[in-house]
Amino acid sequence: MKLLIDFVNFLLPALYFVTVWAYAKAFFSDSPSAKKVKTPLFLSTVAIHFCYLLARTLYFDHPPITTIYEIMTVMSFSIAATYLVIEFWTKVKGTGYFILILAFIFQLLSTLFIQDLIEVKPVLRNYLLGLHVSSALLGYAAIAISAVYGFLYLMLYHHIKSSRFGVIYTKLPNLEALERMSMVAITFGFALLTIAIAVGFVWLPRAFTTFSYADPKLIGTIGIWLLYGVGLGAKKTIGWQGRKIMILSIVGFVISFFSLTIVNIYFSGFHNFH
Amino acid sequence: MNIVAVGINHRTAPLEVREKVWYSDDEIRTAIAELKNTTFSECFLVSTCNRTELYGIPKDGSPAAEDLALAERLKDFLITFKSASSSVERKHFYHFFSVGAVQHLFKVASGIDSMVIGDIQILSQIKDGYTIALEAQTTNSFTHRLIQATYHVGKRTRTETRIVEGAVSVSYAAVELANKIFSDLSKRAALLIGAGETGELTAKHLVGRGIGKLLITNRTRSKADELVASLGGETVDFDQLTSHLLHADIVISSVAAPQHILTKSDISRAMKERAHRPLFIIDIGVPRNIEPSVNNVENVFLHDMDALSGIVDQNLQMRKAEIPKVNAIILEELTEFHNWHESLQVNPTIADLRNYFETIRQEEVAKNINRFSPENRELLELVTKRIVNKLLHTPTTSLKNGNDESLEDKHTKLHIVRSLFGLSKSQGDSFGGNRYEEKK
Repeated sequence: MKLLIDFVNFLLPALYFVTVWAYAKAFFSDSPSAKKVKTPLFLSTVAIHFCYLLARTLYFDHPPITTIYEIMTVMSFSIAATYLVIEFWTKVKGTGYFILILAFIFQLLSTLFIQDLIEVKPVLRNYLLGLHVSSALLGYAAIAISAVYGFLYLMLYHHIKSSRFGVIYTKLPNLEALERMSMVAITFGFALLTIAIAVGFVWLPRAFTTFSYADPKLIGTIGIWLLYGVGLGAKKTIGWQGRKIMILSIVGFVISFFSLTIVNIYFSGFHNFH
Repeated sequence: MNIVAVGINHRTAPLEVREKVWYSDDEIRTAIAELKNTTFSECFLVSTCNRTELYGIPKDGSPAAEDLALAERLKDFLITFKSASSSVERKHFYHFFSVGAVQHLFKVASGIDSMVIGDIQILSQIKDGYTIALEAQTTNSFTHRLIQATYHVGKRTRTETRIVEGAVSVSYAAVELANKIFSDLSKRAALLIGAGETGELTAKHLVGRGIGKLLITNRTRSKADELVASLGGETVDFDQLTSHLLHADIVISSVAAPQHILTKSDISRAMKERAHRPLFIIDIGVPRNIEPSVNNVENVFLHDMDALSGIVDQNLQMRKAEIPKVNAIILEELTEFHNWHESLQVNPTIADLRNYFETIRQEEVAKNINRFSPENRELLELVTKRIVNKLLHTPTTSLKNGNDESLEDKHTKLHIVRSLFGLSKSQGDSFGGNRYEEKK
């Protein structure tokens, strides 16, 4: 079992790489064979990833959410799974390359640095923790996806503005659709982060005697939550549209990414478990 | 292949010449009926604003290949039928024979011979020409099979290549651009300023794509009213141009005005009032109607004639790049069509050749049979048959196994065999429908 887990750990980034490559070939060079294989390849990758997470949970007797690199593989899976839903829901199949590359990067980092922990703190076996972490991760995945659509929006926006009618212009969905997809992702992300924070406030003070409102991750997450809250509020009240709100979606993601990685690696607090 | 094609198109003649030999449906009917009586066993004629082309199988059975005199006669016929000899000459026409004629038809059907590469109308126009011929009973199994192959070429080029993709006119390019900014045009409003031709065409395409609302304005209000009558929508006041910007998402401007009719400050103010909802402005006026710096305003997309022409050029380049793929399809279909045709030709030729030899053998045996003793007569039959078989073995094999030869070579070989041995036209040239069905 251990051997298999190790093998799949190295297989996953390879699978994501091939999937991203197929999506890129389909998008940039219109390759018919890439178009044909990309979705089945992606489905298989997600299925194998799911089995991998399940196997890790059973074998190491805890969900893979106790270290930053365990979280990264779950993050990678969340992004891939969320994108899978989006692709089947919207039938827009061209944008996979831009999103799955994130899943690939997260998985690659996880593969390289993940450790096999068997002993974990008993506090990490609480059912509220499951809700707290899964909503936070899915929320971050949604934010990442919204940022990718924001990025695609800005690319297409500038290409149209400057009359560059290349592959970006030809292949991407229209601006309104990109903005809508980004906004749907942001709304989901915001709702999930709200749940994560709410559950955190209920559970963390009870679980940790060292709980502190000055925890960097806590401050970071609340900061992100406020940023998205203000952005969504501004959209509703002032009626922000288009470019401005899409820039905000990217800024939000960049800050979230720093909160997830740098804070975890360089700052210490009750919120770190390794 | 015993087929000849003569035609005139946008490459060989200007519009004022082409229109003189444009045939209406009734004229086509009369012309092909006449040709069926005098020249062709099967024929059809296709006539559009860009081309008039006649395809036919000569009646007398003589191979049409390189029959220039026939081609010239057909050109004269097409000219005199329309009484156009004062402005149309033979030199405006081109001609193709045999495989060349079929290849030309395939090229036309694929859209690569059209004035605008990838023009999708042509296939239905060929269909119309064939339908008329069908009604006039000037077709038979050869033309039937030819048209089937032609449709197949047309269909394959549309599904397997990108030859019909992308807007190739300025007005379509504008609509294509609108579709890259907005998801659903039925929820959007367009404002047409001025009554220029390209502007009108663009508005027409937008209406065709189901634009939610169309506002039309013009300095001379009556002109705007006329456009409303033909396109729908409503006329709005030209003097309150900026206030209409609140309601429109797409603005098409084609006014002949010496200075800008909308400035950056006009648009900036309008954008604030419309809560920065995206605004797409198409400026097709010469000189330009909209101040170019308007494009710097957030969520405003301003495009002029040059930008739209850029899209058109790019799409044309893309279509041109698809031509090799189309040619490959044409070659495949041509080979298949030729193989079908050859399968009808080779076997009858071999049969005719064998008959010819067998007849001579029988005649000679009959003439000389009395010179042989009765016990040797059977041997005589056997020996002469063996000689004939041996003589025919190599030519028969050569005719049957010509897969590596070019279409022209195959045709020439059959022609030589037939003329060398004086073989008359066989049933192979009747192109029986059943034979094709069997092959399928």
